[in-house]
Amino acid sequence: MVGVVVEQRPQMIARAASGDAHAFAALIEPLLNPAYRLAAVMLADRSAAEDCVQEASIKAWRKLGQLRGDASSLRSWFLSIVANECRMVRRQRWWAVAKVAEVLPLPGGRDHFSETSSDLKTALLRLSPDERLPLVLYFYLDLPLDEVARTLGLSPAAAKSRIYRTARKLRSDLTLEEVF
Amino acid sequence: MTREDFRRELGDAVDSISGSPDPALPERVRAALVHAPEQRGPVWIGALAAAVIAVIIVGVLLVGNPLNRGPLVPGLVVHPTPTICFPTCPGPLPTPTPAPSVFPFVCESGPTTLTNQAAQPVEQIDAVRTGKRPGADRITIEFKGTTAGTTVGIIPQANAKFVTDGSGATVSLTGRYGLLIRITGADNHTAFSGSTDLKTPNFPEIREAREVGDFEGVVQWGVGLTLPACYQATIISNPTRLVIDIRWPPTD
Repeated sequence: MVGVVVEQRPQMIARAASGDAHAFAALIEPLLNPAYRLAAVMLADRSAAEDCVQEASIKAWRKLGQLRGDASSLRSWFLSIVANECRMVRRQRWWAVAKVAEVLPLPGGRDHFSETSSDLKTALLRLSPDERLPLVLYFYLDLPLDEVARTLGLSPAAAKSRIYRTARKLRSDLTLEEVF
Repeated sequence: MTREDFRRELGDAVDSISGSPDPALPERVRAALVHAPEQRGPVWIGALAAAVIAVIIVGVLLVGNPLNRGPLVPGLVVHPTPTICFPTCPGPLPTPTPAPSVFPFVCESGPTTLTNQAAQPVEQIDAVRTGKRPGADRITIEFKGTTAGTTVGIIPQANAKFVTDGSGATVSLTGRYGLLIRITGADNHTAFSGSTDLKTPNFPEIREAREVGDFEGVVQWGVGLTLPACYQATIISNPTRLVIDIRWPPTD
C-alpha cells in the first residue's frame, strides 16, 4: 500500500505558481508514485502510465492557477488530472483497448471469481478504467472518502455508492459494513 | 471476507498490474517541467497563426464576397483604387444592364415563351428574389453566367396549385391564382443556395414563390398571386436574369 502524506506547502505552491518548475516538481514528487499506480491500473500499460503521469504533470503545472485549497486539495486535484489524462490516452489510442482485452481471457465463461489475487486481478481488469479508479483511490491509495469524492468530481455520498457498487462487482458477497 | 482481506487482495492485484514505477520517473517529470515553457511556444504560435488566418479570411469575405453586391452601408460610395496587373489589365467590367422600368406596362395574360438568343452555354440559377416596384411586384431569377438556348415558359394559372416536377406531388401556394415559370436547360441546385420558398404576405400581388421543380435540367418556380396574372417578362444581362413584373391589382 502506498500512503501519501503531503504537507501543506503554501510557499512552494506560490513559487511554483510564479513559474518555478523545480518548486512544482518538488511539490508533486510525493504524488508521482500514487499517480503512476493509478495510471497503470487505468491503462493496464506501465509504459503508457509513465508517459501519462509526465503529461499530466505538465498539464497540472499549467493549470496550477486553478488549484484551490491546501495540500490535500493538491493531491486530489493532481490525481484527477492524471485520471483525465488516462481517459484521453485511452480515447486516442484505440489499441490500448485491444491490448487490455488480450489480458482478459474469461476462463471457461465463469461468472464468479475464485478467492485468489490472480483472479481478483483478472476481475479488476475486466472493469472499465473509470470503475477501477474509485477502487484504487479508496482501497489502494487510502484516500479518505471526501478526497476520493473530490478526485472523482462527485459528492461523498455518490462516491461511497460508486465504491461499494464497484467493489461488489469484484466480490459479490461484500457487505456495506465490510467496505466502509 | 473482511475489509482488510479485500484491501490486501486488491493491493496485491494493483501491485501485480502496475509493478513499481521507474526510479527515474521523478527526474523525467522534473526535466519535462523545466522544458515545458518551451513546449508552450508552438501552442501560442499556433493560436496566433490561427487568429491571423481568421482575420485574413474575414477580410477576404468582407471585401471579395461575391454575394455582397451592394454597398455595405447604404449611401456608401467606394472609390476605385489603382490596380496593378500582370501582364496587362483586362478591359473594363461590363456595365450591368439596368432593370427595366415597370411602365409602360405591356400586359401579358396568356402563356409566354422567352428564348435567349445568345450562343453560350447554359448556366445555373444562383439566386431568386422577390421585390416590389412602383405599381408591380417583381420576381427575379438570376443566372450564374449568361444563358444560352435557355427557354423560359411562363404559364398563368387559375389557381395556386402546382404539381412538383419529379415527385408529382401537388403543392398549394398562398394566393388564389398562380404563375408557373418553367426554365428548360437550367438547374437550381448547383449554384443556388437561397431559400426555395419565398413568402411575401405583404406584397399586393405575389404572395409566395416556391421552387416546384428542379429535375433533369428543367427548373420550375410556382408563384401564388392575389389576382389573375397581368405580367411582363424580360431577360437582361450583367448579370443575366429573368425579370417578371406582375402588376398590382387596381386600387379603384
